[in-house]
Amino acid sequence: MGFVMISRRGGSMPIRRKLSTTMVTTFGLTITLGIAFILAIFLMLVLSKEPAQTIFHFFVGPFANKFYFGNMLNAAIPLVFTGLGISVAFKSSVFNLGGEGQVYSGALVTTAVCLAIPNLNGLLGGTMALAAGLGIGALLAGLSGFFRMKWGTDELISSFLISGAIVLIINYLITGPLDDPTNSLLTTPKIGEQYRLFQFFKPSKLDISAFFAIIAAVLMFFLMYYTHWGYEMRMCGLNREFSRYGGINVSFYMVLPMILSGALHGLAGGFAVMGTHHAALKEFTFGMGWNGIAVALIARNNPLGVLPAAILFAYLDAGAKAAMLHSDVTFEIAAVIQSIIFYLVTAQAIYSLFRYRKREAA
Amino acid sequence: MAYLNMDRISKFYPESNVLANDNVYFELNRNEIHAIVGENGAGKSTLMKILFGMERPDSGRILLQNDEVKIKNPLDANALGIGMVHQHFRLIPDFTIAQNVVLGIEPTHNGLLLDRDEAIRRVEAVMDEYGFNLDPTQKVASLTVGQMQMVEIVKILYRKAELLILDEPTSVLTEQQIHKLFETMRNLCRLGKTIIIITHKLGEVKEISQRVTVMRKGKVVAIRNTEDVDEKELSRLMVGKSVIFQFDRSSRNKGAAVLELQDVLLQKKTTERPLLDRINLKVHSGEIVGIAGVGGNGLSEIEDIVSGLTPVSDGRILHNGKEITHLSARHLRERGLAYVPADRLHRGSSIETSVLENMIVSDHHSFLKGGVFSQHDIREFASTLLANYSIDGQSGVPIGTLSGGNIQKVILARELAARSDFIIFSEPTWGLDVASSEFIYSKILEIREQGTAVLLISSNLDEILGLADTLIVMYRGRIVCSHPNTEELSKEIIGEYMLGLRDDFKEGRQHAD
Repeated sequence: MGFVMISRRGGSMPIRRKLSTTMVTTFGLTITLGIAFILAIFLMLVLSKEPAQTIFHFFVGPFANKFYFGNMLNAAIPLVFTGLGISVAFKSSVFNLGGEGQVYSGALVTTAVCLAIPNLNGLLGGTMALAAGLGIGALLAGLSGFFRMKWGTDELISSFLISGAIVLIINYLITGPLDDPTNSLLTTPKIGEQYRLFQFFKPSKLDISAFFAIIAAVLMFFLMYYTHWGYEMRMCGLNREFSRYGGINVSFYMVLPMILSGALHGLAGGFAVMGTHHAALKEFTFGMGWNGIAVALIARNNPLGVLPAAILFAYLDAGAKAAMLHSDVTFEIAAVIQSIIFYLVTAQAIYSLFRYRKREAA
Repeated sequence: MAYLNMDRISKFYPESNVLANDNVYFELNRNEIHAIVGENGAGKSTLMKILFGMERPDSGRILLQNDEVKIKNPLDANALGIGMVHQHFRLIPDFTIAQNVVLGIEPTHNGLLLDRDEAIRRVEAVMDEYGFNLDPTQKVASLTVGQMQMVEIVKILYRKAELLILDEPTSVLTEQQIHKLFETMRNLCRLGKTIIIITHKLGEVKEISQRVTVMRKGKVVAIRNTEDVDEKELSRLMVGKSVIFQFDRSSRNKGAAVLELQDVLLQKKTTERPLLDRINLKVHSGEIVGIAGVGGNGLSEIEDIVSGLTPVSDGRILHNGKEITHLSARHLRERGLAYVPADRLHRGSSIETSVLENMIVSDHHSFLKGGVFSQHDIREFASTLLANYSIDGQSGVPIGTLSGGNIQKVILARELAARSDFIIFSEPTWGLDVASSEFIYSKILEIREQGTAVLLISSNLDEILGLADTLIVMYRGRIVCSHPNTEELSKEIIGEYMLGLRDDFKEGRQHAD
């Protein structure tokens, strides 16, 4: 006990250490991105017979025409939602690794609701369908938060496991009971015309959910920095002991960020259906959850930073696709280049994540 | 000839914008006990961390016996015979003394398995050589703070240190333990070791050191033979002005009981004896109740249960006659609990958060206008507190970039703003410089005048004796002394209570048992 009593008191060392780790993280991210780009260029130089063209299409391709540009922005929309979902959780030092399952279930439930009410008006039915998608995501993630509060179950593990199971269940539903027999793809039937969001940047698929994404980012920013919920979440995220001391209901803030995080993931899936795909295809949301982590990391968990971070991510993706179409780069090579960038950035996300947890345990 | 020279050492911390060492010159003779004194942030610790390889200087050089040495890390320092005992002990409580001492350079069987017997034998040999009286097979968790410190010293002697740096070694010790430590230091000096002691306490400088270096604001302002200076002059050199350390505590009639603990028991399954064993105490309006004790005897537990952060196992806690035993910290806050915790860097503040956001934690709901924070009100509140408490820092910067004294002032300002009729202070001036401490004392006395009930938990006896109206001493989770603070209570007597040599309530308890 004597030991505890003494070591509880701080010196000046930990302050400096913590501040410097913050600096290292920002610095590290820049370096990671730099290395990723250099590696990508290097690979294209080695693997492509016409490297100049490949590199050109990789970097400039996404801006080549309205179609590519709009689709790139469209691909960023779900990443904004999942990135926001991850950042609200990370900011509160709770960890939602179940994004994949939450997006996918949000998409499925939104589709199912749309299919169940084929004759309702677009605004009302659409709102109901989105709310249901949002709700299922919030429920799945909130469950992990609840377990953490009630029994101390690690929400990182439980959200990951729940998500893993949910993905399989949804795969079964899409390929089984909800499968569209008239379509050779593994997909549900298409949702009614009235539920499809207006695509305003033809010929691309960019739809008006882009504006909802921007609104969501602004709302989350407002929530985090201007309301007492946001303040309490951030305080709990930085220092639970301090928060408890200050009279904040710490256990509530293990659940609320998870619910918000899940809700945003559910919305990502819902908008992907109503805006772009108009049906739930087997594993069509794959990657949106994981990429949300990378997006949140690039944005340093700042809700407004999530917007450019999601676009950066979508840009890399679109670049790889453009290079594939317009040069001799094959699908495999494009995937390899993309994966390298993805792995480098996520490796850092995972690293920071574990450092957070270690600090919390200490 | 000087044993060690540190020549024109400079160290700048860009993140906090502090020039911690400014062209510092320091010299040390062989076989002396050399004290380094200075206020918080004077740069003493930085200088010693540079010497021990924990920080790199921006410029300057270090000469050991006239050879320039590069000390890049503590291992280099160890190799050069330099050892350091940190303010915060680095011991593993579940290991024995011997295991702690040999950690990192363990004797092994065939280079693989720890040779326990050899470890004990070697540690015993070091202890015999230097006259330590400890059992190497004892677990560190069962030791007193004084003994832990001895283990730290044995640890560096085991690594063949010739130069020992002790960073504020007395701050957690009782009078008797300090005596013992000083005896040990003198003995080591007789055996040829050289010792640097960092301290705040000027009396100790006079008692133990041969020479003294005074630092102020990153600079060395004087190097003197200790016998040539008196405490007043040292104090003047340290702070740049004379400080008279005395309290003006008028007698007051205490009012009604504000806080009352009745038979409070705190038990953990993992420990044999209760952490708090049937505690009864009352704090009245306008009264300062001081609780003294050595760490590990229940002080931090009192802090935790009264602040609602740890639930009690049995007994009752009353606030103005109403039971608050099972209220959480949140509900206590709503009732106006104010609390300045001992752990100010982890509990009392969130160091990566701005000063402003730290200031509103206990009362942030009051800044909401229509569900949204009024930035204007918050900024106004922050700047009022900054001005009223003369806090040196801006409200937008992370609080961790402020000095220790200023962090404590932010916490104090926040808690005093939120208080109603009762406040807990735990170690309010621990590690702070004279000026900050005096400021805090004046605030404590000021709110006492206003009729606030104050519970003051402190291991600093000067502080307790100077401030408290009623004095309580804890030993092994029990109250062993509860007495109005009168002339007849001396530091020595309290020290005896703190070490369990006296117990006013022993007989009563035996009856009860």
